[in-house]
Amino acid sequence: MTKQEQVKAIFIEEAGEIIEKLDINIIRFEENSTDFDLLNEIFRGVHTLKGNANAFGFTRLGEFVHHFEDILDHYRSTHESIETHNLELIVNSVVVIQEVMHCELNEIQELPDSYPECLEEIKALLASKKGACEKEKVLPPTEQMNDLTAEFGSDITPSMDELLNQSIQKHKKMQTEDLKLYKIDLTLDSDCYTRGFDHLLFLKMLQEKSSAMESFFEMQNVAKLEAFHVHENSIGLVTSIVLTPLNFEEICEYFEYLFAHEYKVELLAYEPQVQEKKDELTEVTTKTVAKNNAPVMSSTAKSTIRIDTLKLDELFDSVGELVIAQNFVSQNEKIHAIEDESISRTIETLSKITKRIQDRVMSLRMVAIRDTFDKMKRVVRDTSKKTGKELHLHVLGEDTEIDKTMIDSLSDPLVHIIRNAIDHGLEADAKARLAAGKKVEGVITLKAYHKSGNIVISVSDDGRGIDKEKVIQKAIERGVITGDENLTESQAFSLIMQPGFSTADTISDLSGRGVGLDVVKTSIEKLRGKIEIESKQGEGTTISMVLPLTLAIIDGMLVQVAQEIYIIPTLSVVESFRPERDIVHAVKGKGEFVSMRGQHIPVIRLSDLFDLETEHLDPWDGILVCVETEAGRIAIMVDELVGRQQVVIKPLGKALAKQREISGGAILGSGDIALILNVEELRPLIESVHA
Amino acid sequence: MEQNTAQSRRERYLTFFLGEEQYGIAIDRIKEIIALMKVTYVPKTPHFVKGVINLRGSIIPIIDTRLRFGMPECEADMHTAIIIVEVEKVNIGFIVDRVEEVASIESSSLGAAPKFGSNVDTDFICSMAQIEENVVMILDLLKLFEADELVSLEQIQQTQTKGE
Repeated sequence: MTKQEQVKAIFIEEAGEIIEKLDINIIRFEENSTDFDLLNEIFRGVHTLKGNANAFGFTRLGEFVHHFEDILDHYRSTHESIETHNLELIVNSVVVIQEVMHCELNEIQELPDSYPECLEEIKALLASKKGACEKEKVLPPTEQMNDLTAEFGSDITPSMDELLNQSIQKHKKMQTEDLKLYKIDLTLDSDCYTRGFDHLLFLKMLQEKSSAMESFFEMQNVAKLEAFHVHENSIGLVTSIVLTPLNFEEICEYFEYLFAHEYKVELLAYEPQVQEKKDELTEVTTKTVAKNNAPVMSSTAKSTIRIDTLKLDELFDSVGELVIAQNFVSQNEKIHAIEDESISRTIETLSKITKRIQDRVMSLRMVAIRDTFDKMKRVVRDTSKKTGKELHLHVLGEDTEIDKTMIDSLSDPLVHIIRNAIDHGLEADAKARLAAGKKVEGVITLKAYHKSGNIVISVSDDGRGIDKEKVIQKAIERGVITGDENLTESQAFSLIMQPGFSTADTISDLSGRGVGLDVVKTSIEKLRGKIEIESKQGEGTTISMVLPLTLAIIDGMLVQVAQEIYIIPTLSVVESFRPERDIVHAVKGKGEFVSMRGQHIPVIRLSDLFDLETEHLDPWDGILVCVETEAGRIAIMVDELVGRQQVVIKPLGKALAKQREISGGAILGSGDIALILNVEELRPLIESVHA
Repeated sequence: MEQNTAQSRRERYLTFFLGEEQYGIAIDRIKEIIALMKVTYVPKTPHFVKGVINLRGSIIPIIDTRLRFGMPECEADMHTAIIIVEVEKVNIGFIVDRVEEVASIESSSLGAAPKFGSNVDTDFICSMAQIEENVVMILDLLKLFEADELVSLEQIQQTQTKGE
C-alpha cells in the first residue's frame, strides 16, 4: 500500500463514520428540529466530509456535500425553523450522500437518479432562501473578506484601526464576567525566525486558552516572491484581540522569551453585557473553531484512540494467562504453608489487581448498544413511511454494553425483526387498530437489558399477535411437523423461525412473520445466542434475542464424566436431576428415554459417546442434564455436576476442526483444559450409535 | 556435531528419536520443545491424536508421533518431550521419545526417500541423510499435517452442504 493509498483508506474509513453519524444525527434532528447544537454538529461533520471528498478527487460527492452544507449553514446561522418538506429533503439528502459515496468508492460512473433530483431541490431551496434573507446573509461574507484582505494588505480594506475597533466592539459583546479582553501587539524583530519564534507560535498558544480570538497582520512590508527572504521576518505589526479567562500576568508569561519592545499587552476595560448575548457568544466561538481549524473547546471532547481488535484479543489472551497464573499462586499449597502475613497480603493484592485488570480489559471490548439502536430509528422511520403505518418507537436500555464484535453482526437481524414487527406485527391499517380498540399510532419497543448473565435485546409491537393454531396448521401443510406433536406455545411460535416458513407465499393473514426469520435465527445462533418469542393474540408480540455477554466468554456448567471435565453452555441447559429408576425406559434398538412431564427425552451417555470408562452404569446412578437443542430436548448423562463458571472460550485449532461434538476448550483455574460440548451435535451421534 | 553452520549449503535440523530411529525436522518450523505435560483427551479423534495441552493459555493439539507412524505406544519417561511446530500458522505438538540435537546437514548429502511400496505411507519422509553412524529421516511436516487436515476439511464441507 502506498502512502497515498493509506491516506485514502483512512479517509474512506473516516468518511464512512461521518456519514453513519450523520445518518443518526439527522434522524434525531428530524425529531427535534429546533436543536441547533445538533445542527451545528451535523454541519461540522458535513464540512469535514466536503474537505476530505474534494481532497481525494471525489468531486461528485464534494459537489453535493457542498450545496448540502450551504443549506445547513443557512438554517444554522439564521435559526430559522425548518419547514417539514425541507426537513424531508435534508433527511433524504443523507441517503443520497450514502449512495454517492458508494458510487465513488466502487468507481461507478452512473450516479443514482436521486442525485441530480436532490441536488436541484437543494439548489432551488438555497436560491429561495438567499433571496428571502439577503440582509442576514450579507454579514458573514464581508467578515470573511475582511480577514482575507487584511492578511494580504489590500488597499480596498478599511484602515487597520477601523478593523480593530470593529473587532473590539464585536468581542466586547461576547464578553462575560470571567472573560477578559486583551489587545496584544506583536512587533517581532526581523531576526525572530532565527531565534526560534514566529507569530503563529504565540497565536496558537494563546488560542488554546482563549474562547475567541481575532488577529490582524500588517503585511505592507512583505516583499514580492522574487525578493522574499525566508529567514527574515518582514511582517510589521500583528494585533490580536483575545477573549480569554487568563489574567494579565499569565498572558505576559507567554511572551517572556521575547524582548520587551517586541510585544505589548493591553487589557481593555470590561463593560458588563446583558445576559441575552450569551447565545451569540457560543455561536461566534464555534466560528472560531471552524476558522482556526483547531479545537478551542477540546477540553470537553472525549479522547479516544483506535486499536486493532487483534491487539485487544492478544491482550485478552495474556490477561487470561495472568489470571490462571495468579490462581495457581493463590491456590498453591506450598505457598500457603509459608504462613507469612506479608506474603498472603501480597497474594491478596495481586489477586485484586488481576481481577481489576481482567475487568478493564473485558470492558475494552464492550460498547454501548446506543449506536445500533440509533441506526434502527432510521429503519423504523423508513418502514413506517413505506407501509404508511403511524407508529412510535420506544427505546430503552441504550446504555447496555455489548461485545463489539457482536454488535456488528447484530444489526442485520435487528433490522429484519423490526421490519417484520412493523410490516406484519402491527395491524394492517388504522381502521383495524381502532377496531381492536387501540390507538392509531402503533408502538414498537426496542429494549436491551441484562438477564442472568446474558444480554437480551427485544423488539415488541402492540399489534395483533401470533395465531398459534394458524401457525400449526401452516406447519403441517409445509410438512415441518406431522400434527401429532403436542406443542407448547413457545414451541409453536418457534416454528415461524423454521426455513420451511420463509416462503414468499406465506398467507398474509397468518401474521406473515417468518419471511426470512430463519436467517435471523441462524445469525443469532452463530453468536451463541437464541431467540425467544412471546405473543398474545390481539395484544402483540415480543421477539427477544438472548445473547452471551461476549463472544469470548460463556457461562458454563461444569460436569464430570470419568476423570474428565466437560462444559455445557448454561444457556442451553433446562434442568439437571438424578432420575428415579421408574422414569427411565430402554427401548430396544432406540436407546434409553427418560419420561418427564409427559415428554420422552432421549438419554445420551457421554461416557459411551466419548468412549470413557465410568463406574455409573445406569442413568439413576448418574445425573441427567437436560438441554434444549434445535432437534428437541436431550438428557446428557454425566457422573457429577462440578459447578457453574464463566469460561473463556478457546478454539481447539484447525487440526481438530472436524471435532463437531466439541465447540472449543476452556482453561480452568487449575490450568487444566475442559472441553465445551456442542449440544446441537450430540443428538445425531447418539442416533447413529444406537442405530 | 558439525560446527560449521555458516555455509549456505548446510541446513539445520532438529533430530529426535522414536525407538531406535532418528528423525529430523527443519529447524525454522520449530517453535519450542517442552517436557511432557498433562494432555486432555479429546473424544472422537484419530487414535494418534493424544488430545490438547494448555501451553501458556493457548490450546494446542498433541499428536503421538509413534502412533502416527504406526509404532507401538510406549510409557513416557524423563526423556519424553513435545516438539511444538508451526505448520500453516497453526501450532501442533508432536510427542517424541527423545530429542537429540540440532544438526547441520549439507544439502548434497540428503538422499531421496526410499520407496517401500504402496502400502507403506512414506509420503511425509522427504529425504534421508547420514549423520555419523545414523541414518536420519527428514520429515515433511506439511505433508504429515496436510494429509489429515485436507481430509477433515473436506469432511466438514461435505457435512455442511448436506446439512443445508
